[in-house]
Amino acid sequence: MSETLPSVYGGEILHVHLGTGDSEIESIDPRDARRFLGGNGFVAKQVAEHVPADADPFDPENVLALAVGPMNATPFQSTSRGVVGFVSPMTNGFFDSTFGGTLPQALKTTGFEVVVLHGTAEEHSYVLIDEDGAEVKSADGLEGTETYETCQEIREREDVGYDTHVLANGPAGENQVRYACLVHESKMREGVAGRGGAGAVLGSKNVKAIAVQGGDFQPEPAGDLQGRAVQQMGRLMDETEMLQEYGTAGLVNPINEMGKLGHRNMQTEQADAEDAEAVSGETLREEYVTEDTTCSNCAVKCGKHVSVEAEGITEGKIPEFESLFGTATLQEVYDPERVIKANDLCDRLGMDTISWGVTVAFARECYEKGLLDDDDSPHLEFGDADGLVELARQTAEREDFGDDLAEGSFRLAESLDDEAERYLYGAKGLEFAAHSARGLKGMSIGYATATRGGSHHDTRPTLQYDGNHDETTEGTPEFAARTQHFTALGDSLTQCRFVSEAGWGARVNERYAEAISLATGWELSTEDVEAIGERIYNVERLINVARGVADRGTDTLPHRTMHEPIPDGPSEGMYCPPEELEGMLDEYYEFRGWNDNGHPTTDTVDRLDLADVAESVAD
Amino acid sequence: MELELRYFAMVREAVGERTTTREFDPETTVRDVLATLENDHPDLEGTLLADDGTIARSVTVLRNGTNVTHLERGATELADGDTLSITPPVTGG
Ligand code: SF4
Repeated sequence: MSETLPSVYGGEILHVHLGTGDSEIESIDPRDARRFLGGNGFVAKQVAEHVPADADPFDPENVLALAVGPMNATPFQSTSRGVVGFVSPMTNGFFDSTFGGTLPQALKTTGFEVVVLHGTAEEHSYVLIDEDGAEVKSADGLEGTETYETCQEIREREDVGYDTHVLANGPAGENQVRYACLVHESKMREGVAGRGGAGAVLGSKNVKAIAVQGGDFQPEPAGDLQGRAVQQMGRLMDETEMLQEYGTAGLVNPINEMGKLGHRNMQTEQADAEDAEAVSGETLREEYVTEDTTCSNCAVKCGKHVSVEAEGITEGKIPEFESLFGTATLQEVYDPERVIKANDLCDRLGMDTISWGVTVAFARECYEKGLLDDDDSPHLEFGDADGLVELARQTAEREDFGDDLAEGSFRLAESLDDEAERYLYGAKGLEFAAHSARGLKGMSIGYATATRGGSHHDTRPTLQYDGNHDETTEGTPEFAARTQHFTALGDSLTQCRFVSEAGWGARVNERYAEAISLATGWELSTEDVEAIGERIYNVERLINVARGVADRGTDTLPHRTMHEPIPDGPSEGMYCPPEELEGMLDEYYEFRGWNDNGHPTTDTVDRLDLADVAESVAD
Repeated sequence: MELELRYFAMVREAVGERTTTREFDPETTVRDVLATLENDHPDLEGTLLADDGTIARSVTVLRNGTNVTHLERGATELADGDTLSITPPVTGG
């Protein structure tokens, strides 16, 4: 009997050929829905199928795939995010980046679960999607416009107000700053597909924005998802109180107290308590927050708007914790108003605050050590707050030293003396996020083996902060791998991580199995749903192996993480020496069923029902 | 003995101060300090200690920056000059 697709799925994939403006519609194979679930799983499958292993990220053959998940627009809270998948200009490997706001839910109602942009548009364009398909429209007059302005301008052109939901590129994406991001300004909350360079890829396709107008499709869960969702709410709201009040910025002070918050380009991992306080969630809330903002279908409302009169900012997006690490503590810049200004500029110009911030901090240390000088840039002293703001502008425009910063820290290091490599902080070409690669053992092995390199959404730090696998290597490789399954599963559901970890649990458990079963009508066990996460992670790995960017040699950590213990503070002495990493890699590969070089074996590919994917990535 | 207590986020809101330095008896444990705070600040009642006397899920406690889950949890004995940081649970951002 042939399998039918559960009625939570819209059922279609929309392929848009930018060069001709033509589209075609493909039906979702029910077997793929079972194997990959949605979101991240669907975009990984598209990249595996359509991007040749030797295609450069800026080649027209790269795709940008946008997807939603099966529970989007259902009663389940916070499962209404979107995900973009592509080959990253930072890592040259598979990348997926999620974002919130209202666009994903609108896309869900068009009936298209996935939209895949192929090729390059002949003229500067935006892509409008509705339930009838896609139209490639002229973006004439939008060259160089900022992200929020672009969202507004396209809304005006389409003339249905906020019923046109826009995900926009800024000048940074047009200029192919390698870590350019995509920004969605909606009625309720900004959403940023922040990492890996989705904006740069869209820029290379000559596309300024993706705009969506919703349709009539309504997903129909197979079971009583509503009842289950209500049961979940109490715990969810109790455990997200800090997010509700402070957003993620509330993490600055406690993680600094633990001595695990990078400072001065990771030379130390604890700022002076007064300095941390100046850029903390507590200070931002007291001095600058004006209102809460939220994604579709989420009561947590972790988003906040800030106003800073002296900087001319009203309704700016509050800097997230990761951004405060990248643009404040790593830089030794503790002027909150200048930090908010730099973040606001990054959002408007369309740049990932983590990669940009870590790259600037790296340049500051190179300057300190004499590898760069005032002729390169006069803005590179640690603590230079005005320089921070000026460098954001220069980077997006690729002006002066900004042109070097726009390449990211790894490429910048290649242009400098060999010594510069000692000051890098990232893996596989992507700068690390705020969660310490030295101070959390689970992050050491997690970052080293992350599909995306420096992502904190492959292996998760949350349980580590509660004392699990933060200080020990025992069982940590398996822990890291299984939280990678957890994140891949969550991103295939397009579920908000904050909400899932707090309300549902930070490991795959029976709550996920039950909810997915209720949504789809499939009877899935906890093992079944964890296997979906494992399968997706292996698809990502297969893509990266075929592209030559994932093996034992690239599953590594930067020099400082492996050779310089944290010098002081509560985490003093912690690091991950090479022999420790090698031991953890052995265990990790064995647990995964990968060979000694970190490649999935044929048995593993067969066990996970991925023979067709392994074949397509090798083509 | 003297302890420095640092409060964050909602705990700070309930206490109304960023930090306090207080005298406690020798051999005071983490649990004793949390019970004292709950007693002194009605808004904190039931948020620091669970019914069974363990540290509540809604709070993370650090002794000199180390999560007390690595020590003796609520039974961790404190020493003169220690700093206790009391914060909502730390997540992944
Ligand atoms: S918790 Fe925040 S990021 Fe997550 S869905 Fe809700 S508003 Fe969006």
